[in-house]
Amino acid sequence: MAKNRKNQAAEIRFGPVLKVVLLCSLICSAAIGYVWQKSQIERLGHQILDREKRLQSLKNDNKGLADQIAFLHSPVMLDTQARKLNLGLAPAQPFQVVRMVDLPFTPEPDGPRQYAERPMAGGTP
Amino acid sequence: MNNKEQFHRALLLLGCLAVAFAGLGYRLVDWQVLRHDELSARAERNTQREFREAPRRGDILDINGNILATTIPVKTVCADPVILSNQTAVVAQLIAPLLQLNPAAIAQRLLPRLSLATNSNGQIVTNQSHYVRLARNVPEPTWQQINAAMTNFTLEVGGRKLTRKEAEFQYDIRYHGIYAESDQLRVYPGGALASQVIGFPSVEETNINGHFISKIVGCDGIEMAMQKQLSGVDGWRLTETDKAQNELVALRDEDVFARDGLNVVLTIDSQIQHIVETALAEGFQQHSPKSITGIVVRPRTGEILAMASLPTFDPSQPGSISPETRNRVITDVMEPGSTFKIVVVSGALDRGAVKLADEFDCEHGHFAFAGRTLHDHEAYGLLSVKSIITKSSNIGAAKIAIERLGDQQLYNYAWNYGFGQRTLIPLPGEARGILYPVKDWSKVSIAQIPMGHGVAVTRLQMLFAMAAIANHGWLMQPMIVSRLQEHDGNIVQRYGPQRVRQVISEAASQQMVEALKTVPTKDGTAPDAALKEYLVAGKTGTAQKAEHGAYVPGKYISSFIGFFPADNPEICISVVMDEPRDGGYYGGKVCGPVFHDIAARCASYLNIPPDPSLNTNAVPLMADTLLRK
Repeated sequence: MAKNRKNQAAEIRFGPVLKVVLLCSLICSAAIGYVWQKSQIERLGHQILDREKRLQSLKNDNKGLADQIAFLHSPVMLDTQARKLNLGLAPAQPFQVVRMVDLPFTPEPDGPRQYAERPMAGGTP
Repeated sequence: MNNKEQFHRALLLLGCLAVAFAGLGYRLVDWQVLRHDELSARAERNTQREFREAPRRGDILDINGNILATTIPVKTVCADPVILSNQTAVVAQLIAPLLQLNPAAIAQRLLPRLSLATNSNGQIVTNQSHYVRLARNVPEPTWQQINAAMTNFTLEVGGRKLTRKEAEFQYDIRYHGIYAESDQLRVYPGGALASQVIGFPSVEETNINGHFISKIVGCDGIEMAMQKQLSGVDGWRLTETDKAQNELVALRDEDVFARDGLNVVLTIDSQIQHIVETALAEGFQQHSPKSITGIVVRPRTGEILAMASLPTFDPSQPGSISPETRNRVITDVMEPGSTFKIVVVSGALDRGAVKLADEFDCEHGHFAFAGRTLHDHEAYGLLSVKSIITKSSNIGAAKIAIERLGDQQLYNYAWNYGFGQRTLIPLPGEARGILYPVKDWSKVSIAQIPMGHGVAVTRLQMLFAMAAIANHGWLMQPMIVSRLQEHDGNIVQRYGPQRVRQVISEAASQQMVEALKTVPTKDGTAPDAALKEYLVAGKTGTAQKAEHGAYVPGKYISSFIGFFPADNPEICISVVMDEPRDGGYYGGKVCGPVFHDIAARCASYLNIPPDPSLNTNAVPLMADTLLRK
């Protein structure tokens, strides 16, 4: 009996030890992975929330600026400013308006002119 | 200790364990099976939250995309008096300056109060209220300041360290004592500009679990007429929260975005609207009428470029709204006076019953008919049809109706011009007007109606009748909404011009225009309405007001409706004054100059080419000057 115990103690069996170590590592890594994943989900959730808030805030700012432009463009505002600044602005009278009359198209008698033509004679420019 | 005793002890232990496990098992079955529904519902109530997302109300834009009405996000600042407990005075002192409110008033509102609620058994119970609204329409930056102030809140304990309970109390006050709910505020960048067309909003509140959910609802004008398109569709998010009420994004179940309301693009041009409102205000100041209205339309399409009525209101200030500030262009009916002569004369021309050169005896200003005597404002003898329009002869118009047109035809033309029926403009409160059927006419009706009495019209109906003459006899449907579009500019629906019917032939309309051209001349009734660079066609109207079944001396409705350039009309303008008090009362005298002012400025703004027939076109001169340079 004692002999057998002595013999067993002296013998190192790596197989089972390796199995146990592997099993423990597997369980540990699964647990750590699970926790890591959960914390990632939590972190990403916070990021999503923060960015949603930021997006909303930017949208609101954008809207505010658009409204400000609308206010500055409004005829009432422009009229008030023009009067306040006393710039002498007034609607253009008909005699102050130059009207461009579209003439009917007439083709060039010598064919189309090449406006970007480079001089071919006379050497280098 | 022998084996038997050991066995008994083990058995006892086993029995105890068995009882304990049985107890646990029963508890498990009780929770998981017997009370499953109740407990799972309670668990869901503790963690699941439904957040409603209100859609942004659509904007109202003018034809050029300028914003006339928009919605901005604001906050409703609320408090939980239960959390604030004995610190209400301190908190009130802290936030009152930011909300620009009296600290005592805030402290009063923060006093603990009871609210009625129904428990799960359907019994009414009293609870301490956790919800008090402190201020509405608080801008976002102000809320940020309040939030920052509350985050720095410190519980006064005389310099010693806070106990754990006190620290928790301080934390609750800081982060849950004062909170904000998202809300929306309707703003009008143009102030009172086109306010009667746009309308005004009110806020409708729904109480959901003690919290008030507000919604903007239109009360008049486009805000009301296009409520469905402007309001959009609610969104919601079904999700779970942690103990501190922070959302757990990973556990979101349903997330449906709100669908924002559509932008309504009007045919109104805010620049022309401003021109009209400014000119009307000057006219109002000069003649002190009860009210004054102005409309500008494109006769070819029926697009309304401006519609104004003074007195007006600012939709941002509900206190400025009263029955006097209604949109009289569509809500009020009036006897049109001489502007109605266009109906009888154009009808007679259309039927070939008269020609412009045909002459009628205007009886030197007095014409007895059916027991009544008709008068002209001057004694005229023989007048051609054209001169009847030029001089606005009542007797001449009556004779055309009596001798050439007949009552049924007069009624038919008036009906075909759209009188006695709504124009179907998409604005609330439009009046139908009064046009009695021929069987209800008195003997004198056929003489009265041609001069604009015995019939009641809206200002819009009268303008569109004139616009029909300008548009080769085609009556158009009034257009006030050009299109519906999403916020990114994507067009959802476009509204086009719609012809109603051809009331008179093109030839008749041309003859009518020839006659109307003579009105804004030295010989006509509205010389002040003439423009230097454009030929104007138009008609004046001065109708005595009827009150309590009788005409009231000294009270008139004065009007001028005209269009230009007469031979190629771009715009048609109506100016109507109700009871002008200073500076005369004839339509040509009081409304003509206002028309002139509006027309000249609109022509400049719209860059309408001057009328070549007038020979006052300065373009060649200007071009010559440039060439000489």
